Amino acid sequence: MQRQRSLLLLIVVLVFSAITVLFRFPLPLGLDLRGGAQLTIQVQPSEEVRKITPEVMEATESVIRNRVNGLGVSEPLIQRIENQQQIVVQLPGVSDPAQAERVLGGTAQLDFRKQKPGTSQQLQQLLAQRQQLRQQLDALRSQLQGQSTFEQADEQLQQALAETQQQLQNVQEQFPQLFERTGLTGKYLEDAFANPPRQGGSWSVNLRFDSEGGDRFAELSKDIAGTGRTIGIFLDNRLLSAPVVRAEFAETGITGGGAEITGNFDAQEANNLAIQLKGGALPVPVEIVENRTVGATLGRDSVRRSIYAACGGLVLVLVFMVFYYRLAGALADVALVIYAILTLASYAFVGVTITLPGIAGFILSIGMAVDANVLIFERTREEMRAGKSLYRSVESGFYRAFTSILDSNVTTLIACGALFWFGTGFVKGFALTLGIGVLISMFTALTCSRTLLFFTISFPQFRRRELFDPNAPKMAKAPRMVDRAGEKS
Amino acid sequence: MKFSVTKQRSRWWTVSATVILIGLISAIVSFFSLGYPLKPGLDFVGGTRLQLELDCTLPNNCDRPIQIGQVRQVVAEQGLENSSIQVVGEERNGLSIRSKVLDTQKRTQLIDALSAEIGEFDRSQIRIDTVGPTIGRQIFVAGLLSLLVALAGIILYVSIRFQFDYALFAIVALFHDVLVTLGVFSVLGLVAGLEIDSLFLVALLTIIGFSVNDTVVIYDRIREKSQRNPNESIASLVDSAVNETLTRSINTTLTSLLSLVAILLFGGETLKDFALALIVGFISGAYSSIFIAGSLLEWWRQRTGKPLTDPKFADSSGGSDATSTASK
Repeated sequence: MQRQRSLLLLIVVLVFSAITVLFRFPLPLGLDLRGGAQLTIQVQPSEEVRKITPEVMEATESVIRNRVNGLGVSEPLIQRIENQQQIVVQLPGVSDPAQAERVLGGTAQLDFRKQKPGTSQQLQQLLAQRQQLRQQLDALRSQLQGQSTFEQADEQLQQALAETQQQLQNVQEQFPQLFERTGLTGKYLEDAFANPPRQGGSWSVNLRFDSEGGDRFAELSKDIAGTGRTIGIFLDNRLLSAPVVRAEFAETGITGGGAEITGNFDAQEANNLAIQLKGGALPVPVEIVENRTVGATLGRDSVRRSIYAACGGLVLVLVFMVFYYRLAGALADVALVIYAILTLASYAFVGVTITLPGIAGFILSIGMAVDANVLIFERTREEMRAGKSLYRSVESGFYRAFTSILDSNVTTLIACGALFWFGTGFVKGFALTLGIGVLISMFTALTCSRTLLFFTISFPQFRRRELFDPNAPKMAKAPRMVDRAGEKS
Repeated sequence: MKFSVTKQRSRWWTVSATVILIGLISAIVSFFSLGYPLKPGLDFVGGTRLQLELDCTLPNNCDRPIQIGQVRQVVAEQGLENSSIQVVGEERNGLSIRSKVLDTQKRTQLIDALSAEIGEFDRSQIRIDTVGPTIGRQIFVAGLLSLLVALAGIILYVSIRFQFDYALFAIVALFHDVLVTLGVFSVLGLVAGLEIDSLFLVALLTIIGFSVNDTVVIYDRIREKSQRNPNESIASLVDSAVNETLTRSINTTLTSLLSLVAILLFGGETLKDFALALIVGFISGAYSSIFIAGSLLEWWRQRTGKPLTDPKFADSSGGSDATSTASK
């Protein structure tokens, strides 16, 4: 009995930690449940870039990320699928998928512009404003991150975020008015890379143009050198950087096809700018090849109905087990509830995003979790009918059912594994939830049901056969006494 | 009450063959009328599906059901004559339009035109699925690949844990279930226009797992019995193994079906076809493991005259046989 007690304690501890996990890390809901758009963007090779390398993917992702930030969606998710040359963008709660598609699907345009005379003061002001708004936005975002994802995120915070984003958008839109286009675009840029600091300075970004680009850049820099005006580097019509050209270049301009942008960059910033420049310079066409958008209320409706279905299914199974297996069924029910809690906690632990197919996997795994218990109890009944004592019947029920449980679950796990490795998107989610469910159901059936059963029949009042098998013939007293004596030895 | 699956095996085989044959005929008919043996959803062939619902908070917006003729006209004016259009919802104020791939601009145009003619749609109830043809192919290939790998893995595992011919008949039973499910959905595609999507592939894989699961439990019993009674006839061993596991087969299928029926009745719209596929597959899986897998094994071993017991199993005095391997 000592072993039973400590196992029982272990189970109680497990369940409590599982509940804690569930409260601390609520399960994130997929887009199909909370509404939003998921876009799959295909990166395509072009005349200039025939091979899509990881660098190209990274640069493209950086451009996409910039555009997503411009959309002002909170908690966007951007994922690169390297070997398929795709980028998946998830935009929760987006209300206008058409706008998102237009913004994300266009080809990135990098261009170098000339600041118009007499706009210096205005530019300084705008830059300062932008800096401030960006900091504000970061602060709001990190505040939002702390919020529970299951609950509706704080309305006020959401609104503040949206407003700040709007303001930032307004500021961004004013920059292009201060510059004029020069015809020097990303097409002429060959490379851009971050340069580590020399002699105690800060990081800088180096540019390399092709020969025609070099000429154009020399002309541009000659024009504005020493005037205090800047070169505006725009990506998708958004100002990335506005470097000043030093007066010493007023004679010839910056020649040789190379240039260096200095500023108070740290390594991260310099790298980001280089990637953005390179990204803008790479004219790889992108195409939106998949769009799945679910309206916000439609998603919420699915959640509600699926949760009803899950509860309904669970209740039916619980009732069936008690009806059919009596006391053993009731104990299996306890194990089943433990199963549900542990499984959900593992989802939270592994970071499973709950989608509609995921919920289906979970509901299905409940039905399958019962299977192990059914196998064990059927075996127990058989042994009881063969005349064994209750204790021995339960014991051999577990022992005999083990190989069946193992073999049958491993085959299901093999199917889950295949689904997980080769499947895409939500198919993966389904395989993961079902697979976790199968593993945990083996644990709960072999450990929880077992411990609970043995613990219960250690009390004499529960050691009645009809509590396990309503059709069991009543045994004479004598053999039970012998058996009980045998159990204690 | 004990019944014999081996004595009446030709009857069970006929039942299965008939069901599969009906499915096959339906698939052929479907292939010649639609070009596909099963009606493929846009997950596989690409296209755009729009689900729209009228905004009923606006006055007089949903006072009468949507007229499909009117919708068809608007859609045709946009140059999308080949789209399939359905009016959905209890109040008939929802629309489901499936067309070729529409880009943002065309889609917006269509929704605007529909709004102008039919009424304002609720933007938070909208559902858009656009799948490019390459993505559709990707999903299909990925599904097929996982199907093959799962099959190979299962054959390997069952061969190791049992014997190779056990694995073979487990696979036959599995194909039985897959064919029955495919057949039922082919018929439903012809009769009710039901389309299969990528969730259907997932359902097939789950059915495979479940089917083998069920068969393995019976095999496990046959193995155990044959080790204990090496001299019993094969037919009687198979029959009693099936009988002894019958309650378990029924109960397990029943509990799984309980959850699935719950999804079918109360679950979200997208999950209903999925649940239906699983229900068909699970019932077929229970049937095939009871009536097909065991009786095939018995028939085969009778024919080849091989004893049911692997000599290695019989020697190992009924202990665990986890270390045994397949035998020829």
